[in-house]
Amino acid sequence: MFLKNTLFIILLLTLFFSVPSAYSLTEDEKNNIDLYQSLAPGVVNITSTVVEHDFFFNVIPRQGTGSGAIIDSRGYILTNNHVIEDAHKLEVTLSTGKKYTAKLIGSDPDTDLAVVKIDVPKEKLTVIPLGTSANLKVGQKSIAIGNPFGLGQTLTTGVISSIGRTMRSSTGSLVEDIIQTDASINPGNSGGPLIDSSGQLVGITTAIFSPTGASVGIGFAIPVDTAKRVVNDLIDKGYYSYPYLGATLMNLFPDIASALKLPVTSGALVVDVTPRGPADRAGLRGGNRRAQIGNNIVIVGGDVVVSVNGKPVQDADAAIREIRKLRPGDRIELVIVRWDGSKGAVTVILGEKPRDVRAKQP
Amino acid sequence: MFKLPAWNSRNCPCLRRAVSIFCLLLWLTSGHVQGALALTTAEENTIAAYEKVAPSVVNITTMECDPEFFWCATPLDSGSGSGVVLSADGLIVTNNHVVSNAKKISVALSDGRRLDAHVLASAVAEDFAVLKVDPGEKPLRAISLGNSDRLKIGERVLAVGNPFGLGQTLTVGIVSMTNRTVKDGGKILRDLIQTDASINPGNSGGALVNSDGELVGICTAILSPTGSSVRIGFAIPVNRMKEVVPTLINPWPRIVGWGVAALLLTLFLKRIYRRPEAASSGNVSRMGPDSNF
Repeated sequence: MFLKNTLFIILLLTLFFSVPSAYSLTEDEKNNIDLYQSLAPGVVNITSTVVEHDFFFNVIPRQGTGSGAIIDSRGYILTNNHVIEDAHKLEVTLSTGKKYTAKLIGSDPDTDLAVVKIDVPKEKLTVIPLGTSANLKVGQKSIAIGNPFGLGQTLTTGVISSIGRTMRSSTGSLVEDIIQTDASINPGNSGGPLIDSSGQLVGITTAIFSPTGASVGIGFAIPVDTAKRVVNDLIDKGYYSYPYLGATLMNLFPDIASALKLPVTSGALVVDVTPRGPADRAGLRGGNRRAQIGNNIVIVGGDVVVSVNGKPVQDADAAIREIRKLRPGDRIELVIVRWDGSKGAVTVILGEKPRDVRAKQP
Repeated sequence: MFKLPAWNSRNCPCLRRAVSIFCLLLWLTSGHVQGALALTTAEENTIAAYEKVAPSVVNITTMECDPEFFWCATPLDSGSGSGVVLSADGLIVTNNHVVSNAKKISVALSDGRRLDAHVLASAVAEDFAVLKVDPGEKPLRAISLGNSDRLKIGERVLAVGNPFGLGQTLTVGIVSMTNRTVKDGGKILRDLIQTDASINPGNSGGALVNSDGELVGICTAILSPTGSSVRIGFAIPVNRMKEVVPTLINPWPRIVGWGVAALLLTLFLKRIYRRPEAASSGNVSRMGPDSNF
């Protein structure tokens, strides 16, 4: 009996102290190695072939490389839109070296995200669990696995340098809450996962800031919370349906506001409304005449949006940000200041954004 | 030893159960399990150090011009750098090269406030400048100073600054070397700390802190063929700053020192030139102001 007790306790204690200290690695090193070994099979290399024509219309294939993360056991891979954009052919290489032809499922240029799919049995896939980017802290570890310069699978580590930066995607729309990291991110890392120390995907490495074109320790990742919002729509529909106000907004700067003798100093000036769009139907008014203020020509006469759903907005981007949090069909309450100085409120039922409308127009 | 009520005393002695539950709980709560939000101790340390120093590092934006071109008639150019808060009443230390050409300096605090600053004093050779801002009713948070002589190669350091004017950024690395001497343009900077934390233009004047969140250096220079980080960055040790900055803030010891030196020199010269005069003292009275010839 005594022996059994002792054995039981020893077993528990071994579980408790079961750090394989054979090479006496630090906790941090062990964490890196564990994460790499368990998650690297979930990171793929994506080779896209874009067909271009030369002067004589001869076909010239051009290849680009990027990375991606397997996020679903059905074979869905999350990557960047700019990795797969205009691709004629997509080839996915797993960490085992096996190559598969991938199919584009959906893409959203506004957030620079895309989903591609490979047909591989479930057992051969390692899925990287999606975490949350909402409670990230500056200083915590970030691990990037990707395919820099097409070299093949590469692990780089760093810390989260800042959170909450804003980035403009290639379409001109703003992506919020960008994660900045000092893990080395280079061309080819695009689309790869940024992973926290508990092995969850927290971001999609997307861009770098660099005067040289290669890593200077300033890399950016799209937060996974943004990706989670978009991915289901991409898988179901092939695109993400954005809410649509049908109005063009402009920043109202204090000098313009004072020149126009408006009773507010900041907000989003409605320059134009789309006829029979959601904003038009709700009674929002756009500008109708031109005015020169300083060196700028401003179309004035429209309403100024000063708050969206009870949240005060300082400029057009803030208003767009609030609207972007909603879905088509949602109602929003706008507090507006009319051209004559009176205050009013309108309720707009958001539509679905037509897919060719410029990003600045929510 | 504590006791738990024996809920199944038939086949199980309560001590064993207590110990096993205790062990199980310890195992479950320890960092061994890859819990959803478990951070490693290294991460927790970095986060704590960053949160300690972040309010004390400021972003500096300057409007500058080329002083050799038409007396600054051209539109002002903007530059960016970083600074470290030395005292709650608004003393900020930065690199002299951040503010040397500035016509207008504005300081952005980490809480979002923007304040105008002016250069209180600068030491060109040491590349230090001290700025003064008026913090208003909300005092600034001063950084705690460490001891750079105790830095060891391989020790973890955090650089907090404003690279490329992007906004507050943390980068982490280790001390690559101490007592490094580099040539920066015509200047020679001595006894620098070399680090592999990414330091870029705009990090200048920013803080290099140790894992306790104490200032150990002021990020100053990088060595790079491209002009941006290749992970060879240099910081002036904080002990150098401790020597230089007090004399910049309070110039009286210097003024008194030079005054005493001037006085001694005057007395010395007087002694030398008095001697021949003293020999022919007969002429002295004729040179006095009250003597009418």
